[in-house]
Amino acid sequence: MKSIPAIFAVMGFLAEPVAAEAEIYGRDIKPLLQARCYACHGALKQKAGLRLDTGEAIRRGSKNGLILATNDPASSSLLLRVGSTDRDQRMPPDGEPLTPGQIQMLQSWIARGAPSPVDEKPEPDPSEHWAFRPVKRPKVPLIEVSEKNLPTSNPIDAFIAKEFEGRGLVPQPESRRDLLLRRVYLDLIGLPPSRDELHAFLADTAPDAYERVVERLLESPRHGERWARHWMDIWRYADWYGRRHVPDVWNSAPQVWRWREWIVRAINSDKGYDRMLVEMLAADEAAPEDEQARPATGYLVRNWYALNPNQWMRDVVEHTGKAFMGLTFNCAHCHDHKYDPISHRDYFQFRAFFEPIQVRQDRFPGESDPGPFQKYEYSANRKVVTQGVVSVFDENPAAKTFIYLRGDERTFPEGKPAVNPAMPSFLGGHLLRMEPLALPPPAFYPGVRPPIRQTMLEEHVRAKEAARRDFDAVSVKYVEARSVFMSQKETNNLSSLGKVLAEILATEVDWRNASNKLAVANAAHSSLQARMAADDARYGHSSRPNSGGTHNGKPYALKGTPDQGSSSSPADPALSAEESASRAERELLLRQAQAQFTLADGKLSLLEAEHSLSRARWNVDGASKHKEESDKADAAVKKARDSLATARKSIESAEAALLTNSRSYASLTPVYPSTTTGRRLALATWLTRPDHPLTARVAVNHIWNRHFHAPLVASVFDFGRNGAKPTHSELLDWLAAEFMDHGWSMKHLHRIIVTSRAYRRSSASPAEVSESASCLDVASESSSAAPGRTSEIGSNQERDPENRYLWRMNSGQMEAEVLRDSLLHLAGELDVTPVDYPLPTKDAESSRRRSLYFECFPEPGGHSQFASAFDPPEPMECYRRTSSIMPQQALAMSNSRLAREQSRTLSKKLASSLGDADSSAAASFVTLAFEHLLSRPPSSEESVACQNFLQKAFANPPETASIPVKNDPPSDSGSFARAHASLVHALINHNDFVTIR
Amino acid sequence: MKPNPHSCGRFPRRTFLADVGMGFAGLTLGSMFWRDGLTRASGGEGQSIHLPPDGKPLFAPKAKSVIWIFLSGGYSHLETFDPKPALNDHAGKSFDKTPFENPVAGQKHKARFRSVPADSINVRDVYPLIYPMQVGWKQHGRCGIGITDWWPRLARHVDDIAWVRNMWTTDNDHWAENQIHTGRHRLDETQPSLGAWVHYGLGSLNDNLPSFVTLGVPKSHTTSEIDHAYYLGPQHGGVPLAIDPKNPLPFGSRFEGVSAGEQAGEFELIGKLNQLAAVEYPDDHRLRARIRAYELAFRMQAAVPEAMQFPGEPEHIRRQYGLDQEQTKVAGERLLCARRLVERGVRFVLAYPSGLSAWDSHQKLKDNHEKLCANVDLPVAGLLQDLKQRGLMEEVLVVFCTEFGRTPGLEERGGGKTGRDHHPHGFTIWFAGAGIKGGTIHGETDELGYHALGEGHYITDIHATVLHLLGLDSRRLEIPGRKRLDIDHGQPIREILS
Repeated sequence: MKSIPAIFAVMGFLAEPVAAEAEIYGRDIKPLLQARCYACHGALKQKAGLRLDTGEAIRRGSKNGLILATNDPASSSLLLRVGSTDRDQRMPPDGEPLTPGQIQMLQSWIARGAPSPVDEKPEPDPSEHWAFRPVKRPKVPLIEVSEKNLPTSNPIDAFIAKEFEGRGLVPQPESRRDLLLRRVYLDLIGLPPSRDELHAFLADTAPDAYERVVERLLESPRHGERWARHWMDIWRYADWYGRRHVPDVWNSAPQVWRWREWIVRAINSDKGYDRMLVEMLAADEAAPEDEQARPATGYLVRNWYALNPNQWMRDVVEHTGKAFMGLTFNCAHCHDHKYDPISHRDYFQFRAFFEPIQVRQDRFPGESDPGPFQKYEYSANRKVVTQGVVSVFDENPAAKTFIYLRGDERTFPEGKPAVNPAMPSFLGGHLLRMEPLALPPPAFYPGVRPPIRQTMLEEHVRAKEAARRDFDAVSVKYVEARSVFMSQKETNNLSSLGKVLAEILATEVDWRNASNKLAVANAAHSSLQARMAADDARYGHSSRPNSGGTHNGKPYALKGTPDQGSSSSPADPALSAEESASRAERELLLRQAQAQFTLADGKLSLLEAEHSLSRARWNVDGASKHKEESDKADAAVKKARDSLATARKSIESAEAALLTNSRSYASLTPVYPSTTTGRRLALATWLTRPDHPLTARVAVNHIWNRHFHAPLVASVFDFGRNGAKPTHSELLDWLAAEFMDHGWSMKHLHRIIVTSRAYRRSSASPAEVSESASCLDVASESSSAAPGRTSEIGSNQERDPENRYLWRMNSGQMEAEVLRDSLLHLAGELDVTPVDYPLPTKDAESSRRRSLYFECFPEPGGHSQFASAFDPPEPMECYRRTSSIMPQQALAMSNSRLAREQSRTLSKKLASSLGDADSSAAASFVTLAFEHLLSRPPSSEESVACQNFLQKAFANPPETASIPVKNDPPSDSGSFARAHASLVHALINHNDFVTIR
Repeated sequence: MKPNPHSCGRFPRRTFLADVGMGFAGLTLGSMFWRDGLTRASGGEGQSIHLPPDGKPLFAPKAKSVIWIFLSGGYSHLETFDPKPALNDHAGKSFDKTPFENPVAGQKHKARFRSVPADSINVRDVYPLIYPMQVGWKQHGRCGIGITDWWPRLARHVDDIAWVRNMWTTDNDHWAENQIHTGRHRLDETQPSLGAWVHYGLGSLNDNLPSFVTLGVPKSHTTSEIDHAYYLGPQHGGVPLAIDPKNPLPFGSRFEGVSAGEQAGEFELIGKLNQLAAVEYPDDHRLRARIRAYELAFRMQAAVPEAMQFPGEPEHIRRQYGLDQEQTKVAGERLLCARRLVERGVRFVLAYPSGLSAWDSHQKLKDNHEKLCANVDLPVAGLLQDLKQRGLMEEVLVVFCTEFGRTPGLEERGGGKTGRDHHPHGFTIWFAGAGIKGGTIHGETDELGYHALGEGHYITDIHATVLHLLGLDSRRLEIPGRKRLDIDHGQPIREILS
């Protein structure tokens, strides 16, 4: 009998034929067409002049005629095409064919005359899509003040309150102050308040107590670390990976951490988001001489891939599209986008902005020289180079971008010309302005940068000093050897005299070598100075080049670079400096050749001496052993003679070279192209135009998501037509406008968000608030919900169970990093010293540094084992962190060294602050622990449960030895300490520890 | 205080399960409990409406669980399950000197494979000099399959096995190891691995064990995705278990110095405090999921070691898996463990019987394969035998595979004279157990063992076959906003199904 209602449901149209037919269209036909056909036959495209987005348009047909035959449905071309078995005929051409059921559904709809609602609207024009229109600051709605004692000036609350109206939603009152403090601490700095901070806040009755906390947290250096991690998620931060176990760097770069450092710094100094984007995409063009900005292009370096430059481009296009614009350009990699007006060609035009780029590796002042960046090469392993700065520059301005097919770079259509960089017009691509830029010399030639010169000079001076010390030491030895000889000359002991002579010979060779090395070091230093002087002349002191960037150093002029060779006259003073640099360099070469000769010569004389000795021995005893030795020595002598001959030739050619006249000399460092295409700067400037429809909206949505644990637009990387609609579109636009009008200041945005009433609301459900447990905060009025409201608020959950309209605050869960940092912080163990080169993940449980500073990469070992249980950021794509609940988390919190050690340290700390044990010690300890760990006092039931636990633990000490903890030998206060540790350990496992209420 | 129907942990079990499956956060527990074999009420196979999985198969399954045996490095199909006498007949000749079509001339050679390194820096070459088979071969069983003499024990089970000899993949380097699990080439956006899809679609049969387990998977860039759940959420990823009594799963043992009683007391207190919080926050689904997670974790601590240690296994079983011999012990332990896990309700066990890239025989192929076959042959045969004697062949699907085959030509790189290079154009894998028609020989490569003939099977056809037997259809598991391509879904290899 069960099936009868189902049958009625299916056959329903028989009962009410007219109403049901239009319903069938809306319920079954339209969604099918939308899913499978609209991409080509809707607002986006009208292939064959056909639209299928209204019943009327379907009945109208294509440019080839009608597609429906209501009198003979089966002969409708619509049905013939969707039912065709010919792949060239079948519709839709991509994906699975329609199922027989779906075709049958279409047929019976046609048989009924293809009915559809009369007022049906076609798909709106794609350019009308909300997210493709520029942001206009909406008027703040006027909302009646409905919540007492709370600031009403925050426009966020007006927009949110507007959505309550008509939905019957009643907002929750402000959160308990203790939980609010914990919330805002974890949100802004990623660490909970200590118990002292909590009590200080609760005692502060000034009306702006909360606002002052917010200011303090925003100014804390911890804030940059906390929010840097959020943006690192979005921007796909990853330390080098590829073949970690070899090791062999395939992706990203070992020095990419400088980009992380830049992010932290930028956030702490509240650099505008617009400027951050500009520097990440084009620091080399926008601020060519700002060495602090250069690492920002780590954003692009992170996507570098050793084996295939196309892959680099693909990742850059996909994620620049998703992260900055909330658009899935990657869908147009193989074909025109199915939902948004992004063509296959648009994809490649986007790529063309990045086509000329390459990675360069510069020396960092004061550090050793990492050498040039190692490029694409299959068979050579790429070493883990930790020194230096990696950044992006335009290596090949003439690089062409060709469209390829089906996502396979080997498939080019014949005869298609290369595409130029451009952005689609629906985004205002016509506003993009692009021009090539000349770079100042320090930007394309690190060798003229004073700190680099300084480093090199110091290096040479140190080499000279070392050579001098060696020479002095060897000289002393030589003199000693000679005096020994003089003293023994009289003894007539021939054998010992031979030894002494050999010694003299050896020290003399050493002395000559040391002397030569000193000469070489002196020559190298002179050469360096001469080359610097020549560089000064060459990159001179006249007018500034026409560059778009800021310019902090002294001006340089473009007079031709070493690789360009100009034909200026000999009278040019620059030429003489270049000549002397060239000469100094050749003198150095001669010195080196001479040193080489001396070395070879000395080696030869030693070998000759050895040879005569071994031949003499053989002559004496005829032993075959000595014969072998002698032959070997003979061969060695011959080889040494060859080396000497080579060295002599080197000297000859070096001497000959000295006679020539030349201006060429080696540059101090690699010299990169002195111009850049300006493409990326143009792209970044365009992206951050105030009329760009997406950049600000996407950014504020990301920021909102991290405050409220839910975004305003659920599809955070897809604001296109297939993405989600905003829950509060006016609020989103207002925030975007506010953001841009305040210099894209993130701190401004944080400030207005966290001081809003919406943010400060309780996350509890109405029943919970009215039944709120005892609160530390007696001054707060929040625990007493307004009477008379309960009848209504009970329905909030029914009307909006997912809290889309924010009638309460969402609760959140600590991310892996926050969890670890909080444990360390509460135990007083967190070491907040910033770290440059990332720490190995294997040390995460023993190290006390902030979690931000550990390696992070998408390969086994890319997260610590502890973090792995708590949804660590997925470095391949993490626009939104997942937040799972798994048994593995319970195991990690129960059994990890980190959790155990910190519980113990913490409990000792708490116990010591209690002073001498008394009868109320258990209760006091429990309260103390709750306040410190959960920022709230225990309820009476909680307190009782915990006291019982402690008493039981005191009474029954565990049978095993106590926990051995590094640097902290087990104390003999015995079961008390152990029970305390056990309780603290249980509390860090409390749901309210990991939860942000 | 108002009486609350959900307070104090008195949530009815069914309600609880439904609750925790809600929301973006991806609470995994809701889908953990398919036990009764009920199929989902709506829809039949092939229907393409998205339904978030509820832990029930979409249609009647043939298999409950999967043991996926992966041989890393690429075993030679020619020296294992696809012997080619023509290689011996024409040994030393180049391809164009044989009576057969030259496999590297023409479009076919380029059609399927795609090199990860850009063409300009790629070093892999075509090796046209035919290298003879390094071992003899015979036909076995009623099905008459020809396999090489390095598989004497497996040869006794050939009629339980369905062989697919026309597999192909697209990567010619070891990233193909990830590819066979995710279905995606290195240069394309990655996808969740097959085990994660199974976990996502079906959940577990045993609350106390992880549902997608990996055994002996080495750490490498080529294995970084094989247990990865990607956008399905980490709770669906593979959990590595180790045959190590001290630490069988990450954080799975009590910290040193913590006694069992002490820990039990703590868990009890945690449970009590969280229950009190549940009174305070009656509509907090996440809190209830966490209470459950702690209960599971506590039991998992006991259940995992129980499954991972086998002192109770009788002597004849230990011998059957080769636990008594040095050369078969590692593979034997892992496969015995796999059997114990599926027996206890684990859905998907991914086992590596040999090490990372062990089969990658660019040189000394004969020595390499002879030794590795001796490591693996007996334990694998032992597993099949064991499943049979326990009636598990009706419930458990066994997949035996590798990332690609090896070239029929001699690898001459670096003056090599004794090995074969990677070969994505054709290779052999096999299936056995639940839903498989034993003794089937499906598909073939050309006379020289170069190309998979006909359409062949891209690796996602293995996925489709596995999912089909489990009562799943990857098209219906798709997540909105995460469009997959036809090639990601593949097609079940129907010819080998019983």
